[in-house]
Amino acid sequence: MKKLIKLLLWFLLALLNVTFFWAGVFLFQNEYYELSIVLFSLLFLIDFFIINPRGYPYRYVIPALVLLFVLVLYPIYFTFKVAFTNYGTGHFMSRQEAIERLLYDPNFSYVVDSTPVSYKVFVVYDGLSPTEDFLILFRVNGVIYLGEKPRPVVSRGQEVLLSQYNLVPVNGETVSLNGDNFRIVPWPADLSEINLVVRGDTTYKSFYSPDDEILRLNAPYFKSRIAQNYLVNAEYVLPDGKKLALRIAPDGEWRFMHVERLYRLVYKEVYDGGKMKIKTTVINNLTGREVVEREGAFYDVDENGNETFLVGFIDFVGWKNFLRIVKDPKVSGPFFRIFLWTFVWAVLSVVLSLAVGLPFALVLNNPRLKGRNLYRTLLIIPWAIPVFISALVWRNGLLNETYGVINKFLLPLLGLDPIKWFNDPFWARVGVLLVNVWLTFPYMMTISLGALQSIPPELYEVAAIDGAGRFRRFVYITFPLLMTIIAPLLVSSFAFSFNNFTIIYLITGGGPPIPNSTTPTGYTDILISYVYKLAFEGGQGQDFGFASAISILIFFLVGGISFVNFKLSGAFEEVSK
Amino acid sequence: MKKFLVFALLVVSFVVLAQPKLTIWCSEKQVDILQKLGEEFKAKYGVEVEVQYVNFQDIKSKFLTAAPEGQGADIIVGAHDWVGELAVNGLIEPIPNFADLKNFYETALNAFSYGGKLYGVPYAMEAIALIYNKDYVPEPPKTMDELIEVAKQIDEEFGGEVRGFITSAAEFYYIAPFIFGYGGYVFKQTEKGLDVNDIGLANEGAIKGVKLLKRMVDEGILDPSDNYQIMDSMFREGQAAMIINGPWAVKAYKDAGIDYGVSPIPDLEPGVPAKPFVGVQGFMVNAKSPNKLLAIEFLTSFIAKKETMYRIYLADPRLPARKDVLELVKDNPDVVGFTQSAANGIPMPNVPQMAAVWAAMNDALNLVVNGKATVEEALKNAVERIKSQIQ
Repeated sequence: MKKLIKLLLWFLLALLNVTFFWAGVFLFQNEYYELSIVLFSLLFLIDFFIINPRGYPYRYVIPALVLLFVLVLYPIYFTFKVAFTNYGTGHFMSRQEAIERLLYDPNFSYVVDSTPVSYKVFVVYDGLSPTEDFLILFRVNGVIYLGEKPRPVVSRGQEVLLSQYNLVPVNGETVSLNGDNFRIVPWPADLSEINLVVRGDTTYKSFYSPDDEILRLNAPYFKSRIAQNYLVNAEYVLPDGKKLALRIAPDGEWRFMHVERLYRLVYKEVYDGGKMKIKTTVINNLTGREVVEREGAFYDVDENGNETFLVGFIDFVGWKNFLRIVKDPKVSGPFFRIFLWTFVWAVLSVVLSLAVGLPFALVLNNPRLKGRNLYRTLLIIPWAIPVFISALVWRNGLLNETYGVINKFLLPLLGLDPIKWFNDPFWARVGVLLVNVWLTFPYMMTISLGALQSIPPELYEVAAIDGAGRFRRFVYITFPLLMTIIAPLLVSSFAFSFNNFTIIYLITGGGPPIPNSTTPTGYTDILISYVYKLAFEGGQGQDFGFASAISILIFFLVGGISFVNFKLSGAFEEVSK
Repeated sequence: MKKFLVFALLVVSFVVLAQPKLTIWCSEKQVDILQKLGEEFKAKYGVEVEVQYVNFQDIKSKFLTAAPEGQGADIIVGAHDWVGELAVNGLIEPIPNFADLKNFYETALNAFSYGGKLYGVPYAMEAIALIYNKDYVPEPPKTMDELIEVAKQIDEEFGGEVRGFITSAAEFYYIAPFIFGYGGYVFKQTEKGLDVNDIGLANEGAIKGVKLLKRMVDEGILDPSDNYQIMDSMFREGQAAMIINGPWAVKAYKDAGIDYGVSPIPDLEPGVPAKPFVGVQGFMVNAKSPNKLLAIEFLTSFIAKKETMYRIYLADPRLPARKDVLELVKDNPDVVGFTQSAANGIPMPNVPQMAAVWAAMNDALNLVVNGKATVEEALKNAVERIKSQIQ
């Protein structure tokens, strides 16, 4: 039995190896080099820990290690990587892919002669149903040419970018090609009358031609199986070098036309600091001009010097995104005031919700209170409702300036004027804080409750004997002991509030707007919501590079502040005890 | 290694043998009709069509994540203002000319064109119009002065229980008809497309348009805090006499039993019509899809047909983008109202730079209606903000 389990374990390990190995190779082929390297090193470590007796204790660390890599280290690495690129709207593919697009995408070709070339497709039948084994006969200038299935010339991974076939003129009834004899039946005849092409003992029957009324009935099969699978990126090359490719003609039929590529690739020698380098550039075949490559995009230039955007790619931009934070007045201008409010917001969120949560905890901790469980359950409700729902209820139901419950019923009842919750800077800030406190006090209450229960009751007895009153007992015993336990939690809660995008975005959207600001800043914007607006709602839509750069900055800010906090609160000492 | 080779061969042969399949991402209303059309397509072409329901707001972001990796739907159903961003990213495929093209409205085709190429097959257009409750307003006002007059009377008569006129006061989309009507524009239309360096949101016309909004606020007809939810829910409950809203909302009003009518937004002044944004919905093809020819075939010889367009209209009653289909549905009074409104309209710019416009203009309108800035200041500032962001 033990042996069996061991065998099973080895089998599982082998399975794991195969899976990881396959995934690693797959990722490598698809140009995810970093992930593939991580995967291989993980595989190596796992095998090492399991096979080598000295690595024995580490095998229990493996799951944590895997998760650490996948969920923490890789995202951090990726963020750093993106921060140095221009990844965003207009820059979505690699340079390699952008060039391949220009060179092979049928959209970047031009039709030299739009008079369609007659063609007829012949397929092998398997019983009554057609197969994907096909031949095409073309008629160009009265000569009939024979073409087989085109062969891949350029591919990337499994995707065929370009396939070609050199057409062979048919001069007599039989054509010899690569050792095979093709017999055209009947011969001599016009293309429309040819019925069969026989190769050895295989017979290709006439199947489709856009010019033949009856054969046109087969259009769906031709389009969905043959054209879609083999002819999209295919070129049939005539002996004189002209290329025929399938295009959708203005009448909606799929026809072969004489096309040429719009761009070609050249290798240019560039002298950079005295050294010669080879650089790839793209030339427009029609105008003969070189395509301009600037700021991660290719532009076509016409004779007047007007540039047309062709395709963009992800480019390494160095420190540009980081410099933008410092230099661009749009970012750095309001940075300080937003930072200040973010700080105030985070501190007040923690302090106020503790101020609300702690008294509840003290009351709930009192054993003389009846129905404690009921109260506790009720008080945890704000925490249990999804933030998205409660935020919307607050925004539309409670805080709305004209019809919200607070302005319409509560304040008039107290004889107060309605409050501009969304349009007065001060009250907007109060509003978001109010919502956040409501959402987080149950958390503070829960951790305080737990902490209170760990304070030894003897201390209170001693204090009571010494004649300390309730207040002094709280100040000198409860609060200090409580703080040593919950201080680390408060620091992490501070870090969470610092980046609490959801509340700000859902309640005020950062508003009210600051008059005369040239940036999308509002009075309640915190750093993260401001960055979101800059990176995803301004400019051209999406700017992942810039967003990553700023999130790295925020990471260091929050990390730094938290570190100081931990130091000051002595939380590290407490943990390391 | 041998095992791996066998496995790799298996994978390759699987890919080769796999039948082509078209995947479509669309929002709720189109699912049923597209599924039926997909079955018809399958009967003819032997190609499975899989229709997946994705929230309208999520289609674009989901597509932006999946498509660069060569994944995601072959066809997406979305709004024309995505076209610029998706085309610049190289994620959608140009649609070649097809036979039915001439039957589509020029506005709808222009809306789906970017850089001189058509990137989608439009099926519906929409524009906001005046929706009025016939219990309070038997005849829709013809000019803004009339509207203000009627609104005031209703406000007085019902002492605030019923509002005469509501619209989303600080939302550019709803205020745009005033701005464009007087001659404002977002980006200048040139022969080569939109010129994003020429912004007309602080010109004389735009100022005049926003001043009309300001006048309504000052005269107490509009409240600075009026927003979409308030307008929508009050009209549905019969507490609002006139609103400006789009065709997507009318079904709820009908269900709520409101006796409503639809008419074009009243002329700003006699002879100066209001010009709302026109949005166009349509089908786009994934540029990285291995089935893109087939997808184009599906769109041009199935979706773009008159019968299909009519069936889509029946499933999702919005203004058809095909002229002959619009003729078929002319007897629907809602359609007539929205059509007249859209006829004056301006297609929403589909360039990616539009992203910077919304927030800037919403903020500007917010400042104006709350009296924090004058109309001129706010608009001038908004234009500066847009310019600094799209550089």
